Amino acid sequence: MPPRPALNWGLLPPSFLLPSSTRSLLPSIPIATHLSQSQTPSYTPIRTIKSTNTPRPDRFAHNPHKDALTSTSTAALDRRAHSTPLRTGLLGIKRGMTALFDTETGKRTPCTILQLDRNEVIAHKTRDKHGYFAVQIGAGSKQAYNVSRPMLGHFAEAGVAPKRWVAEFQVKTEQGLAVKVGEEVGARWFTPGQFVDVRGVSRGMGFAGGMKRHGFGGQPASHGQSLMHRGMGSAGGSQGSGSRVLPGKRMAGRMGNERVTVKNLKVMQVDEANGIVVVHGAVPGPKNQIIRIQDALGKPWPQGPMSLADIAPATIAAAGEAAADAPAATATV
Amino acid sequence: MATAAFSTRAVLRGASKAAVPKKTSLAYQMHKQLYPHLYAQNQDAAAAPTDAIPEASRQLTESKVSSILEKERASRKAPWSKKDTPSSRFSVLPSRTKRHTSGIVLHPAKPSIHKQCPDPIATVTTSSIAQLDPTGARTRLFAKTNPEGARVGDILLVRQRTGDPFAGVCINIRRRGVDTAILLRGQLTRVGVEMWYKVYSPLVEGIEVVQRAKKRARRARLTFMRTVKHDRGSVENVTRIYLRQKAALGSADGKKKAGAVGAAKGGNRRGKKR
Repeated sequence: MPPRPALNWGLLPPSFLLPSSTRSLLPSIPIATHLSQSQTPSYTPIRTIKSTNTPRPDRFAHNPHKDALTSTSTAALDRRAHSTPLRTGLLGIKRGMTALFDTETGKRTPCTILQLDRNEVIAHKTRDKHGYFAVQIGAGSKQAYNVSRPMLGHFAEAGVAPKRWVAEFQVKTEQGLAVKVGEEVGARWFTPGQFVDVRGVSRGMGFAGGMKRHGFGGQPASHGQSLMHRGMGSAGGSQGSGSRVLPGKRMAGRMGNERVTVKNLKVMQVDEANGIVVVHGAVPGPKNQIIRIQDALGKPWPQGPMSLADIAPATIAAAGEAAADAPAATATV
Repeated sequence: MATAAFSTRAVLRGASKAAVPKKTSLAYQMHKQLYPHLYAQNQDAAAAPTDAIPEASRQLTESKVSSILEKERASRKAPWSKKDTPSSRFSVLPSRTKRHTSGIVLHPAKPSIHKQCPDPIATVTTSSIAQLDPTGARTRLFAKTNPEGARVGDILLVRQRTGDPFAGVCINIRRRGVDTAILLRGQLTRVGVEMWYKVYSPLVEGIEVVQRAKKRARRARLTFMRTVKHDRGSVENVTRIYLRQKAALGSADGKKKAGAVGAAKGGNRRGKKR
């Protein structure tokens, strides 16, 4: 920046013509003129009125002597740590509903059958590179000519065939990345008895009225009711309430076809060979809908496998247990 | 200067001696770098063929061009012609795919789980039915293919784990795999009562056919039996006679366990008698 030229004070109007706020500055004029002769100042203090406001501390400035800042990404991840799963979830296809009977109590449990179709790990997201830890999972398959070249390269790098569905599951720490890229994760990833959250897109109902969409009461069928049986009724007060419709007023409109989470569904059965996961209760969406299955946030984290290596010994252990149980069972019979 | 090396083109161009750039000129140098093969044969080529080729092509007459095109057209077979081999006909698609995936490693897809288990609901249902009904008696009793099975209009008796048996006219059979259920209409304290029973429920110990319908019902659901005109009323008498006969038979047969299978057989016997 070139040095500013000194003001030509000769052109200043007489002091009585200047505004009263500038009068206090006038005695400094000779000094300024003196300076302008010897060296050009970077700025002329006369021209500014210094702010009396003390500068606010920068909330992004890190000071090691103070508490950790809450506006950093680390702090944000720490805040969400309790609700970030330890391990990845999987993608399932909703196949339909059936029921299971408890032979002891005779209790009938309605349940949904989800099927896992070639769930493979496509990529890992790391804190260093991406800012968080996550596992990218792909499911199903897709013809190569239907996949864009960038995605083909992405799949090729993971060493998997092109996938129809790709989803990302955030995990808390690096331990969640124990499933390697390219590995196939099956139904035994979930343990019977554990709780899961499922997410999917609900069935679209189209344009639905207030009674169906929000459970409004509607109006009576008779008693002089005229041409109004399923309407939403009043949308708000008149002049005293502002003569306007308040934002968020529930009205008729498009219903469904939105992402829905159902929390804390119990895993009833698991069938690795057929890729079947049976969960208690209903799951959003129509049949053949892709569903995200993840460890439930509302329950203690399950003692499930963190990697494929954890699953393999379990089968041996189960076989051993069964072998151990067999003589006992025969003894009782 | 444009003489020896580009003689043919020069001839085509005729005697017109276009302004040829000097060897040191930028145009000459650039052209030489771009098309070194034109300069490879004769290093002493004085002229830069800057506009020689386009000029030459311009010299091709209309007839020449059309004849060349004709020749090309003749050599290329029509893709829809019947004489054509399928290879050239379908060569378009693979080539496009090949271009799409060129330079990318394509890993073969693993076999779909659909191949392994096309109907997971059937898989789960079958396994749970096998567990709940190991003898298959209940399945057989309500199978559509079984001519001796229970039908709507029959009087059925459901023995329950709680101990209270319930008898009534079966007015509906809802076949839904493991959720298969029957609707029985009877009377309790002279009040018409309808009860749904899940056939495979462990709370149901056995289902017996007390009396068969005289005629095959021509409806799937006999909801008309709820009307006063068609209401069967109490089935207590029929049930009592049946139970007495069964007890007598059972003692004669040597205390045969009256399970669901026995019940079906007993009902059958009774049906034959009438």
